[in-house]
Amino acid sequence: MAGLLDKRLWVVSGKGGVGKSTVAAALALRSARAGRRTLVCEVNTQERISRFLEHPTAGPEVTLLEENLWAVDVRPQEAMREYGLMVLRFEALYKTVFENRLVRYFLRFIPSLQELVLLGKIMYHLQEKLPDGRWRFDTIVLDAPATGHAISFLSVPHVLVQTVPQGPMSREAQKMRDLLVDPAVTAAVLVALPEEMPVNEALELHAALKDKVHIRTHAAVLNQAIPERFTEADLEALAGHPELHRVAQANHDRASLTVLAGTKLERNLHAPVFNVPRLYLPTFGRDAIEQVMGHLEALVMGEK
Amino acid sequence: MSTTALGPALARKRVLICVGSGGVGKTTVAATLALRAAVDGRDSLVCTIDPAKRLANSLGLSALGNAETQVPASALEPLGVTARASLHAMMLDMKQTWDDLITRVAPPEQRERILANRFYQSLSTALAGSQEYIAMEKVWELRRKGEYELVVLDTPPTAHALDFLDAPNRVLDFLDNEAAKWLLAPALKAGKLGLSLFNRSGYVLRALSKFTGTEMLQELSSFMLSLSGMNEGFRERARGVRALLEDASTGFVLVTSPHPERMDEAIHFSTLLKQHRMEVVALVVNRVHPLPTEAMWADAATLTPTRRAKVEETLRELQVLAEQDGRGIAQLQAACPGIPLIQVPRFGLDVHDITSLWQTGRFLLGDDTF
Repeated sequence: MAGLLDKRLWVVSGKGGVGKSTVAAALALRSARAGRRTLVCEVNTQERISRFLEHPTAGPEVTLLEENLWAVDVRPQEAMREYGLMVLRFEALYKTVFENRLVRYFLRFIPSLQELVLLGKIMYHLQEKLPDGRWRFDTIVLDAPATGHAISFLSVPHVLVQTVPQGPMSREAQKMRDLLVDPAVTAAVLVALPEEMPVNEALELHAALKDKVHIRTHAAVLNQAIPERFTEADLEALAGHPELHRVAQANHDRASLTVLAGTKLERNLHAPVFNVPRLYLPTFGRDAIEQVMGHLEALVMGEK
Repeated sequence: MSTTALGPALARKRVLICVGSGGVGKTTVAATLALRAAVDGRDSLVCTIDPAKRLANSLGLSALGNAETQVPASALEPLGVTARASLHAMMLDMKQTWDDLITRVAPPEQRERILANRFYQSLSTALAGSQEYIAMEKVWELRRKGEYELVVLDTPPTAHALDFLDAPNRVLDFLDNEAAKWLLAPALKAGKLGLSLFNRSGYVLRALSKFTGTEMLQELSSFMLSLSGMNEGFRERARGVRALLEDASTGFVLVTSPHPERMDEAIHFSTLLKQHRMEVVALVVNRVHPLPTEAMWADAATLTPTRRAKVEETLRELQVLAEQDGRGIAQLQAACPGIPLIQVPRFGLDVHDITSLWQTGRFLLGDDTF
């Protein structure tokens, strides 16, 4: 299997609480280590990734975290301003128009405008070039919102192209759609836990991305996987130790669920599944991200 | 007899709203609270957003729909208890509930136009807080009909806590905005809306149309015009929803997982609820890893070497997780003084059957602690 490094936009999503930001941070760090200029984008959220990597938060400006790794929290107000300035070209004109109370009111109700400018900013950075003609960022890792929000967020260009009257908004949307659907550019990484709901959501997300957004699922990451430890014989032997048996049985059940979840993902996604074992570390910081990264080596670099 | 703050709340409150970030077990907690209230003698309804199918099954229902469905007595058989009052469950269909609302408040001749308008779609889906708003609007409606003594609402995963609390204000704002009135007034008087919109406000709007296109602005104006007929009905309801949130018979149950990473969100949420003068009945910390006991370590030492190694490895892992949880919980309690904190342990597997719901309930109500 080819690695993610062949693609430029890596979309990471899954159910809330499955570890999307953890996986996004690990993938971004690996890309940067591979010498690619990498930008990791969070979308209007409490920033996690810069914190995981033990750097100050980036905020709404693209900020260099470490060698080859930049981060940004894409926020609606700032993104709207940047987009507005690009369209209107003059700061003074922008102020008159966009700081007008009435205009602000109208903008709030224009369908999907907010998502459009958020996604627009990400797409802008994807096409941004250095003076020497190289991409400013080789890789962009998008820590996308959770399932439902991710689908509506990423389908905005499609929806707009179909519904909005011809005009500047639909032209922007068309450009974004072309990049999103290009399998040479964009790939999705779906994150799940070995539990029923997170796996089901990953499957739903896969179907929606494929049918509505036309983004291919490159791989799934099964986070907090529990490896097999106790055999049936072990469990029988522990029958006389009820407390310990309960602990062992729970571990065994979770290991079985891990196998089940992996099989279900692989069969339905027709994509490889990478297990990241559950980590037992006192604090969740850079060490944890480095460990997760180790388990995603083949996902980023391709099979040796 | 219950010993936690949720006991009196289940006995007296009319509305309990479970809030928290995605993936923390809000739905389970909501279902459990309604189950307990029904068993203890109050007619209850749990209104969920997106339940696992197995949760519906565990309540003896094949699936949940937008209609309120009574949970059959047979579903409670495994518990060996009978409910002294009725238990109902429903799944909220956001789109349908918005459409019902419009159908109720819009003048008949405007309905179809509104429902078909693309800006309506944005009001009902894209406007921040609109999902939260419609969920509470449903509860307000149920509460007004008065068929249930207790309604427990499971809320959508909220990206921003404020979207939730601010939702009625935003909807009111949408209808009340003075700028819109100023802009629309001449057109409303004339009974039609055309390019007058653009003459009036000159180059600001011309510049804006560069951004959105002219057609878009005209469509939006015409939508505003069609909404003006339903302002009063809508406003009255939005005020009702806001009042319901602040009512003494309404309580919030803040659900979180103990992971330190999730704590910030819980603390932020609780601060905002407090600022808005809304009552947090309890902080439920769900899926807490219990600390392995001394007895367990001693017992492990009696095993054969290979098994001992496996068990001790597992206990060490649990210890790390339990200590992590303990730090998160201490941090949460320190940040939210005066709010009762209730811990529910992580069970062997996901909570999806009625017995596990009941077991969760025993911890929520303080019959069991750890």
